[in-house]
Amino acid sequence: MRNFSLSDQAFERINFIFVLMITLIIIYPLIFVISASISDPHAVNTGKMWLWPVDITFDGFIRVFKNKAIWVGYRNTIVYTLIGTCIHLFILLPCAYALSRKELIAKQFFLWFVLFTMLFNGGLIPTYLVVKGLGMVNTMWAIVIPGVIGAWSILVARSFFQQTIPDQLVEASKIDGASDFYLFIKIVLPLSLPIIAVMALFHAVALWNQYFNALIYLSDEKLFPLQLILRQILIVNEVSADSAASAAGSAQSFADQVKTASLVKYAVIIVSALPLLIVYPFLQRFFVKGVLIGSVKE
Amino acid sequence: MELQQEKKSLNKKSRTYAIKKSLLRNWQLYVFLLPALTYFFIFHYIPMYGVQIAFKDYFANLGISGSPWVGFEHFDRFFNSYYFWRLLKNTIILNAYGLLLFPLPIIFALSLNELRAGAFKKWSQTLTYAPHFISVVVVVGMLVAFLDPVTGLVNHAIRGLGFESISFLTSPDWFRHIYVWSGQWQTLGWSTIIYLAALAGVNPELHEAAKVDGATRLQRVLRINLPSIMPTIIILFILNMGNFMQIGFEKVLLMQNTLNSETSDIIQTFVYETGLLEGRYSFAAAIGLFESAINIVLLITVNQIARKVSENSLW
Amino acid sequence: MKRRKSLLLLMVVFLILAACGGNEGASKDKSESESTGVNVNTTGMPIVDEQIDMTIFANKPAQNEDNDWNDILIWNHYRDLTNINADWNLHHPDALEEKRNLALGSGELPDAFYLSQLTNADLLKYGGQGTFLPLNDLIDEYAPNLTELMENDPSIRKAITFPDGNIYSMPSLIEEDFLSLRLSARPWINEDWLEELDMDIPETTGEFYEYLKAVKELDPAGDGKTIPYGGTDIIELVQWLSGSFGVMNHGPSNTNIDLDPADPSKVRFYATTDEYKQLLEFIHMLYDESLIEQNIFSIEWGQFLANAADNLYASMIFYDPIELFGEEVGSQYNSVAALEGPEGFKDYNKLSSSIWETSSFVITSENENPEAAVRWMDYFYSDEGAKLYYMGVEGESYEEKDGESVYMDHILNPEGDMTFEQALAKQLTWLGSISGIIKADFFQGGETAPQSMEAAEKIEAFVPEEIWPRFTFTEDENKVLESTGADVDKYVEEMRDKFISGDVDLSEWDNYVETIEQMGGLDELLGVYQGAFERYQEN
Repeated sequence: MRNFSLSDQAFERINFIFVLMITLIIIYPLIFVISASISDPHAVNTGKMWLWPVDITFDGFIRVFKNKAIWVGYRNTIVYTLIGTCIHLFILLPCAYALSRKELIAKQFFLWFVLFTMLFNGGLIPTYLVVKGLGMVNTMWAIVIPGVIGAWSILVARSFFQQTIPDQLVEASKIDGASDFYLFIKIVLPLSLPIIAVMALFHAVALWNQYFNALIYLSDEKLFPLQLILRQILIVNEVSADSAASAAGSAQSFADQVKTASLVKYAVIIVSALPLLIVYPFLQRFFVKGVLIGSVKE
Repeated sequence: MELQQEKKSLNKKSRTYAIKKSLLRNWQLYVFLLPALTYFFIFHYIPMYGVQIAFKDYFANLGISGSPWVGFEHFDRFFNSYYFWRLLKNTIILNAYGLLLFPLPIIFALSLNELRAGAFKKWSQTLTYAPHFISVVVVVGMLVAFLDPVTGLVNHAIRGLGFESISFLTSPDWFRHIYVWSGQWQTLGWSTIIYLAALAGVNPELHEAAKVDGATRLQRVLRINLPSIMPTIIILFILNMGNFMQIGFEKVLLMQNTLNSETSDIIQTFVYETGLLEGRYSFAAAIGLFESAINIVLLITVNQIARKVSENSLW
Repeated sequence: MKRRKSLLLLMVVFLILAACGGNEGASKDKSESESTGVNVNTTGMPIVDEQIDMTIFANKPAQNEDNDWNDILIWNHYRDLTNINADWNLHHPDALEEKRNLALGSGELPDAFYLSQLTNADLLKYGGQGTFLPLNDLIDEYAPNLTELMENDPSIRKAITFPDGNIYSMPSLIEEDFLSLRLSARPWINEDWLEELDMDIPETTGEFYEYLKAVKELDPAGDGKTIPYGGTDIIELVQWLSGSFGVMNHGPSNTNIDLDPADPSKVRFYATTDEYKQLLEFIHMLYDESLIEQNIFSIEWGQFLANAADNLYASMIFYDPIELFGEEVGSQYNSVAALEGPEGFKDYNKLSSSIWETSSFVITSENENPEAAVRWMDYFYSDEGAKLYYMGVEGESYEEKDGESVYMDHILNPEGDMTFEQALAKQLTWLGSISGIIKADFFQGGETAPQSMEAAEKIEAFVPEEIWPRFTFTEDENKVLESTGADVDKYVEEMRDKFISGDVDLSEWDNYVETIEQMGGLDELLGVYQGAFERYQEN
């Protein structure tokens, strides 16, 4: 039923070119990363490698995968991400839904209760003491629970619920005797697949990439997530490069680290990001038009 | 049923009774809230006493509660710093610049949404999403590689065209552009995701009706799709305001040098350099509080404006 | 109603939790616990007859990432020697400060902090509170090695004595004569190219300038790629040339402060002097004529090393060239000492004080055997101790060859693609953890390589008599340093680079001086340093 008018054809072409251009602009640095990951770091550092690999070497990847801890790290991160994301959704969705409902009394209070946590926080040390008080230190829960939800996701999800779940639908179901539980599980959730997918993705990616909690809360190396292991391989904390360089006797070792870092830093990116890049296309199916219509009519 | 009877008798009863009734009838909603509120209470409100450290001189051995009060000393020091105005100005401009590009992901999402489903759509979506996973260290490393005055690709091209090399990395004039646009490169695809999800909720019936009325594709995008996701746009914009003063400072720090600090020196890097490095917990906390105060004012202001001009707002 | 009750209960639980959270500061400040515990032998090993445990909080530098100090050659050996079992509590540098604050506040104080990046301000703060023990008497009695070093070099005691008269830490030291290490990065010049130009190693700033100009003209690297002068940071060049223009005459430890040549009882803020202005004018001229690598303000280490490997640098300030760039490129370089400036100054002021770090070892009030702890640390100030720390155990990590101690082959030429550092870190822990005293005889790093040692010998003649360590300050003085001091230092550094690059013209000099005056750099800040200097002289 596509309307093939002239202007629509032009629109389609221009739109195609627009997306193509943006994709091309974005793709160049990506190719650079991939090429750099298998090029001699010397060529990368002197600007000789600028598009395709130069003096191909797989040393970067070999170095990353030679570290046995990396597989444990992968496993841990996958476990943390899966469990963390499930708990995230389990807490987030009901809360966001409840906040989206008109009948909720003292909604302003609840909103601010949530919003306030986005604006102020007590800092790392008090939070650590709470986590420690709950006996979570050096367990998986220290990675999964602190930060499991945030004000931002609640408020965004709530706004989606407000738009996609019509009041009439809720009222009609309630008149039919449906409880909130029933309504939420049987009607609201199936109607909200896009936002659920987005929230799951956002949280999973955040969990996947975070290392600081692990640094603070974990001391058992068997529990270390992937990112922490990768950081150890990368060793050089480039932010503090200056102070490291001044350490006596270790200019040489620092130079070694710089070389290792330039060798592995691009490989590390690929190793850590690949699983998430593979997952994404599967999530895209949830962003299909017209999820809403059928169910509302029923 | 019971519910209907309650509804009939509702207006006869007092207001408190109505509230009680509503609570009873909707108790499940409050159960829905409970896990989240419990979480926030334990992990955010209990540690909140840490905020007082901004008004204290932190002695780790005395703990936060036991450290001596110093009132507004840390704030005074910050406000009286020679660099205060520069820091404030740079922070605000850098954020405002970033905010100017707020519409880009929206436009890109609308565009992507108009593509026919197929390989190209899938690929462009995935490729534009990929840069989000590149760490800032590597992003800055690439910027240095591309923009280097001698070996950089960009300057090769500039010289090829017969112009002089530009020292992008040490120029205060270029810093903001490089920072913001490289950030845009990294987040464009990622930021479209949420809008694509919103677009998935657009009612196809509206499009069918518009087609019958003879609307062109562009018209339908602008008059149906855009308004449909407007609430999402507004909410995201308001929430952005709640984080206005916080910038991912690690990237700024990596890009900063003495020559571009005229524009690259922001509050967060200042705190990092003069605060955390010297163990001045309290000072950092005080500045954090100052930022929160600005954020909260902005958040409320923008929310009020949004409420006036559109029907959408956070509260 | 049941639900309400349970909710109420939950609230009560939270409140209790909150109260607990608030209580975290009540650290158990134990009453003076000195001279409890076991009997400590005053001399000889073992330190204690019955084994004791000592928990030590420490930074774990990146080089040691894969190794557990609780089971490593050096510390196993030292435990057997002393009967003191060090229970290492190691922390990643990124989380060190948080972990340290938590350790200080949680009531689970370790017995000692080892290289935990405690600043002088921290030492004073927690020392004054009794959390860190004052060590003056303990050192007198139980640290003969450190005491001896302090008698030979009084600046050590001065550097670790706080305005309250107390010593709260045992420092990391560099043997005063081990100049090569104190120099860190030093100037090098490409001798092959000098010869090609028929020039001698420059002796004056003028000759240096002529060389840079000539070598740029000659362009031995080809394609205009030759870089007359390069480095990882412009500050190296500034500090080197400061000796040619007569500023920074007591070393770099006290930022922008040196001794007033006109009045030796006064310190001087040298960044506003005419000498300093001349210095900047000279370097600006070099930069302006492209004799200095144009991206020196943004260059990364990787880039610098790659350029060096391609043999692009005609001169540079860096570490040992052969060690870092290999024989082929590295051997082309010869060292330069001090250059004579236009006013006749010819000093080499760019070297660190022999006090590497103040807070190497700090003993807490929790420690039941502070005497044993002091002795434990003091060993590393002796010859044998330094040898143990930097060379390890004979037959395990080093061997004697021709009267010299050298690492064994499995460290020098490790198997597979392990590097020297990685092999070393499997047995020893000094990489990134400089402690005790570094002595030239027992140290094998780039600094003891022949090229670097030769450079140090040349430079020795131009080194000023006294290099100050960082002064110690009172709490009030620290506040000035953290506010006015931080602003002034930042401004001076920024303007230095702008003057050099030409982003700000040197005709703006008067404005610059005036701004520093307005910031309080010349009265308030200078006053603080003057006070600290006077105390330093008296100690």
